[in-house]
Amino acid sequence: MSLLVVTVGLFSLGMYGALTRRDLVAILASIEVMLGSATLLLVGLAAAGTPVGPSEGAVEATGVMVIVLAAAEAAIGLALVISVARRFKTTRIDELAEVKG
Amino acid sequence: MSVLLDYGWSVVLIPLVLSVPVAVFGRALGRFMPVLAIFGPLWVLVYGIYALADDSAASSRAGSVEWLTVADAGGLSVGWAVDGLTAVMLVVVGVVAALVVMFSAGYMAGEQGLPRYYAALCLFTAAMSMLVVADGLLGLFIGWELVGACSYLLIGFWFTRPAAAKAAVKAFLTTRVGDVGLLLALALLWREVGDLSYAAVFAAAPALPASVVTAASLLLLVGAIGKSAQFPLQIWLPDAMEGPTPVSALIHAATMVAAGVFLIARAWPLFSLSSDALAVTLAVGGITAIGAAAAALVQTDIKRVLAYSTISQLGFMFAALGAGAWGAAMFHLVTHAAFKALLFLGSGSVIHESGSQELGQMGGLLRKMPITGVTWLIGAGALAGLPPLSGFFSKDEVLHDVAGVAPAWAAVLFGASLLTAFYIARTTRLAFFDSYRGSVHPHEGAWNMRVPLIILAAFAATLGFAATFLANSIGAHHGALDLAVAVGSTALALVGLAAGWIVAGRAHHDLAQTRWPGLVALMRSGWGADAFVERVVLTPVNATSRVLYSGADRRVIDAFVEGTASAARRMGRGLASLQSGDTQWYATMLGAGAVALLALVSYVGRGL
Amino acid sequence: MSLESIIFAILGVIAVSGGILTVFARDVTRMAMGLGAFLIAVAGFFVYWGATFLGVVQLFVYIGGVLVLMIFAIMLVHRSPDGSPLLESRHDVAALAVAGGLFFMVVTALRGYVPDSVDQGITSGPTELSEAFLGPMLTHFEMGGVLLLAVLVAVVVILGGEDR
Repeated sequence: MSLLVVTVGLFSLGMYGALTRRDLVAILASIEVMLGSATLLLVGLAAAGTPVGPSEGAVEATGVMVIVLAAAEAAIGLALVISVARRFKTTRIDELAEVKG
Repeated sequence: MSVLLDYGWSVVLIPLVLSVPVAVFGRALGRFMPVLAIFGPLWVLVYGIYALADDSAASSRAGSVEWLTVADAGGLSVGWAVDGLTAVMLVVVGVVAALVVMFSAGYMAGEQGLPRYYAALCLFTAAMSMLVVADGLLGLFIGWELVGACSYLLIGFWFTRPAAAKAAVKAFLTTRVGDVGLLLALALLWREVGDLSYAAVFAAAPALPASVVTAASLLLLVGAIGKSAQFPLQIWLPDAMEGPTPVSALIHAATMVAAGVFLIARAWPLFSLSSDALAVTLAVGGITAIGAAAAALVQTDIKRVLAYSTISQLGFMFAALGAGAWGAAMFHLVTHAAFKALLFLGSGSVIHESGSQELGQMGGLLRKMPITGVTWLIGAGALAGLPPLSGFFSKDEVLHDVAGVAPAWAAVLFGASLLTAFYIARTTRLAFFDSYRGSVHPHEGAWNMRVPLIILAAFAATLGFAATFLANSIGAHHGALDLAVAVGSTALALVGLAAGWIVAGRAHHDLAQTRWPGLVALMRSGWGADAFVERVVLTPVNATSRVLYSGADRRVIDAFVEGTASAARRMGRGLASLQSGDTQWYATMLGAGAVALLALVSYVGRGL
Repeated sequence: MSLESIIFAILGVIAVSGGILTVFARDVTRMAMGLGAFLIAVAGFFVYWGATFLGVVQLFVYIGGVLVLMIFAIMLVHRSPDGSPLLESRHDVAALAVAGGLFFMVVTALRGYVPDSVDQGITSGPTELSEAFLGPMLTHFEMGGVLLLAVLVAVVVILGGEDR
């Protein structure tokens, strides 16, 4: 129960951050929290003996895949942030919403 | 059983696959594009001949192989099955399609967008083969819709011409009315039988309640009426003549419009159980046969004459079906495919050379275009029912069978035969005899336009002697020649031919035109069917919308709207905040949706 | 209170406070520190549950790579000219409702499926992991490689285009 509450709680927390933060970098950070908590729940389930995949190795492999995806997402996201910051001189999403072009 | 016959799907796949390189590399292929495109129809023809020659295939409706499972719920599958009826249709489709592709190489030379044209022809061949070889109503329906789509594409080939674009839409929408009937028949049979394969439907048919059988048969008939341009859905076919003439020969004379007849012949074990449906079919066929033949009497456009003639001849087939003689209907379908395709290609040859579709711009072409002229005469004789040409045998069988069931309708069909001879004689004289009235110098077309005419003329002349073979192949009853009917119809044909010949000679004086201008105009417009649709369907719809606009909309709704404008504006502002361009707000809504779905599944959908 | 519970509690507290800092901190540096704490706690959970390799990867890739990258980006981008707070919140009520609703619904839905205690632990090591990658998850592995290659190219394209 505590595992579920902690991981889902962290996921919701990250989601709240992703929905409310005004800065692109902060939104990315919140999304990292969501990803991390989801992996945590998956690995936790495997550790608790619940069959969540073909094998324990596969569960760990899934965790590695999530990390790879997160790294890729962070790389692309931050590249975009830097590109946007260069062009519009801001990384605030509310200001960006008003920028045309 | 020949090994070749195990590959029934190939008659669909080969033309289908061929259409891709034709469309993509057509421009690069240039003159060789028709050479590539013709392999699709040729394969269908080869396969059909093999199937026809194979006894085991001709004797059994079984031997279906599962082709593609669409959904496993209750075995809704698309399969193919080859039997005699299928084989006959495949040969018809293959021969006509191959010859039309060949003819097109001459007729369409120099046109823009030819890859599109030949690709659509290949696609049509594939769709028609699908319609024919399907082992169930579902596969037939897929092919049915695809031939309709190809018909739309090809009627509208010259889509920059407004008339062609309009005709394409009209054909598509009118046949769609019939397709709804077919779809409803499928739905009804699916509900009652739980399977759409012919075998299952026919096995279950005798046990079904009479009302269901009648309803399903009538719905199938509605589909057939739409596709075969029968009364009251005949209005699209004359307009479909806006398409290229070879297309008219293939789709709107020989194959697609005959699909309605094929459908009923195919579904015969079900259809024949409902005497009501048969009676309706007989009436529809009879009315169409005489009405369209009369409309063909006064047309001035050679293709429109042939279009009304096609409607009329399809009416003969429907009448035969209604009289219970599906074998006779199929026989007439085959001979009609030959001689009507011949007439259409002949008219195409004439139009190509004289540059006009108007009969008034022709005349004396027999001497200028002897091969076209002679083959036309053979086709015209077959259409009029002169012995020993093919149309004579098949039409007499239809007349004989109808006379045995409903003498009154047989009399109507005899009248229609008389009119048939009349209009074809008139058209023939106007186009091919007397002196040339046009302004260009027509001469015989290229070899690839002459050869199809000669081949089709050979078929049109001799197919009548294949009656027994055909009847045995499709497993239908074939009666001996009825001497009384034969003599009577031949006499009528001769009378009609003579009358038509005489009238055409005086056509310059416009005898009928001056004496009964109203009647002629009415008949020329196809008995005012378009005006009727305009008055009964379009005008009320327009009037209703006008009333709704001026009465309901202006006085009631506008007042209401203006009264509540401020509320709407407030609401609009509220709704506009949903569309703010704010990504995070969108994401929030997305999350809210996910939560709502989870709640729905957890609380409401627990039982699901 | 057993040792397991104590370790779980400690790691949980670190993770949750790190998460809270990530989401609520007004200062960029604190946000980065919070994210670091959260990620280290997650790695700790992995190591503690026996998924040592995963924990090490988490440390290396996330904390050594992603977090450093993020801090780097923050330093590149955030030179606040007007001194206004860079991190502030909006849509709080709606987002709170959605996040709270999601929490409630997911916990309700998964309650029966998640065991109370994490006692068994993961016994597999790098051998089983590589067997999984070369066996049932080979496609994932290959797609991950392709994805990283695409990312590499994409980053070059996104950032390289500016100079021209």
